[in-house]
Amino acid sequence: MSLQAVVKKDILDVRRAKLVWGVGLLYTLFAGLSFWGIGSSSDTDIYNALFSMAGIGVLIIPLVALVAAYLSVAGERETGNLKFLLSYPNSRRDVVIGKFIARSAIVVAAIIFAFVVGLGMAFYYFPSVELPNYVGFVGLTLVYALSYVAIAVGISAATSTRSRAMGAAIGSWFVLNVFWNFLPIQPATVIEFVADKLGTSVSQNFKDLVWVLSPTGSYFNSLSLVFPDRINGAQGGGGVGDPFYLQPEFMFVILALWIVVPLALGYWRFERADLG
Amino acid sequence: MPAIETTALTKRFGDVLAVDELDLTVREGEIFGFLGPNGAGKSTTINMLLDFHRPTSGSATVLGLDAQDEIGEIRKRVGVLPEGLELYDRLTAREHLQLCVEMKDAPEEPMAVLERVGLSEEADRKAGGFSTGMSQRLALGMALVGEPDLIILDEPSSGLDPNGIQHMRELLREEAANGTTVFFSSHILSEVEAVCDRVGIMSQGELVTVDSIDNLRERSGDAGEVELTVETVPDDLGLKMMDDVSDIEIDGDEIRAYCHNGEAKMNVIRHVDRAATVTNVVATETSLEELFNKYTGGGRDGLDDDTRELAEEREQPQEVAQ
Repeated sequence: MSLQAVVKKDILDVRRAKLVWGVGLLYTLFAGLSFWGIGSSSDTDIYNALFSMAGIGVLIIPLVALVAAYLSVAGERETGNLKFLLSYPNSRRDVVIGKFIARSAIVVAAIIFAFVVGLGMAFYYFPSVELPNYVGFVGLTLVYALSYVAIAVGISAATSTRSRAMGAAIGSWFVLNVFWNFLPIQPATVIEFVADKLGTSVSQNFKDLVWVLSPTGSYFNSLSLVFPDRINGAQGGGGVGDPFYLQPEFMFVILALWIVVPLALGYWRFERADLG
Repeated sequence: MPAIETTALTKRFGDVLAVDELDLTVREGEIFGFLGPNGAGKSTTINMLLDFHRPTSGSATVLGLDAQDEIGEIRKRVGVLPEGLELYDRLTAREHLQLCVEMKDAPEEPMAVLERVGLSEEADRKAGGFSTGMSQRLALGMALVGEPDLIILDEPSSGLDPNGIQHMRELLREEAANGTTVFFSSHILSEVEAVCDRVGIMSQGELVTVDSIDNLRERSGDAGEVELTVETVPDDLGLKMMDDVSDIEIDGDEIRAYCHNGEAKMNVIRHVDRAATVTNVVATETSLEELFNKYTGGGRDGLDDDTRELAEEREQPQEVAQ
């Protein structure tokens, strides 16, 4: 019940923070640009616009989520106003979960806003909009965003100062996003290289599994649930013959773990910490 | 049941022993001043009472409840003004109190509390624009929400002007008159002298003494000093041999005698009057400041012996109220 108070306080406080709004609007701007760019070309396939939004999304959405949440606990801990919440009948668990809920609500609101703008533009530019798939795409994107909110809150709960929280947030964005899924040297290729040096080899399925283990990888792989095959071809994963751990439905398990594990680890550290 | 009781409470940060086997008892309904210089371990102790810090060893109870296992219940019944509390810059004074009222399920009207602490005109201003004094008033108001059985205040007067301090004292007295226990820490002595039933003095992680201010004065064995100005200082005064005189200082034509009681002061004056022509006499009580310095080892010129005695006293187990 005191969870409610923590959530309420936090939303009241953060909705007045300009930075969060700024990053949220940035995403809306990119959403608008994708629909405008593809919509006003000769391309009449809305999925190309959505896929372009996903491509931009995996760079921007983690930023929105991390910016919205990386200071949620550590910032208050450093300034001392965490003592305010904890002087009242709120437990440390209320603080971590309350922060996650509040920051999730903010991020979800920002993303939904961007997609509502996008939907308006979609009706204007494209001959047909399959609403269920559009909503499904938004839903998957939201789950993806929540995984990064959880990572940011987890980091924030585990660190004692703003600067450390910021360092860890930037590091996680780089490792879990850029390094894991976009660089030519990434975990999957590193494992392949090491295996090769040891005189053995790893299967393509195993490399694909490593690729989808990041929030971004699993988000991308889950998109075949809402995108027709002609768009998904490039991504590879999720084919009929693939093992269960590469099926798009399994991606929910991975994303769910990315929500639960960072929060649990952050709480575990926070629960034992000396504050202030 | 004591309002606060700690048993061998200890907190170590790496090599630093911040609080060393503290045994402290605060009685129900009293105003207890928790004194000590900065770094003596006051805030660390309070942080352990509120479960902000986990003790290295030992235990603490607040209102009879375990400070770790039953902290949720404690937080319902205690009002807190934490040290270095930062308010939420983006929330107004009224919103702060509204939150407190909701979190405690308290019956208060936020405006009524703001009026009590003298902030009713700033109700809808954001706390980010508050002066230190205004923030502290708001924080005090927040601590009073929910009719707590115990109020814990860590350095409540920092940032308050004399008027604000006076006002705060009145509020604390009102609360105490209603049966609330008040526990507050301070390094400002005048504040403690004016409101506290009892004080405890911390120094270097240990509780040096616990007593009422009057008893402290008496027990410190130093009722003050008498300062005499004479035309010429006689060679052999023999003052040091007198009863209840702890030390003599001679500086030019001034003789200063530190005495254990008022009678000794009078004896010193008579004695000097017989031996020389006295042109001026000033007798003073030991100020709390000096008392405090003595207990915390801050020392005062010419009192080395006393300090050493007190240091030895500190080694022995402290007398603590039941």
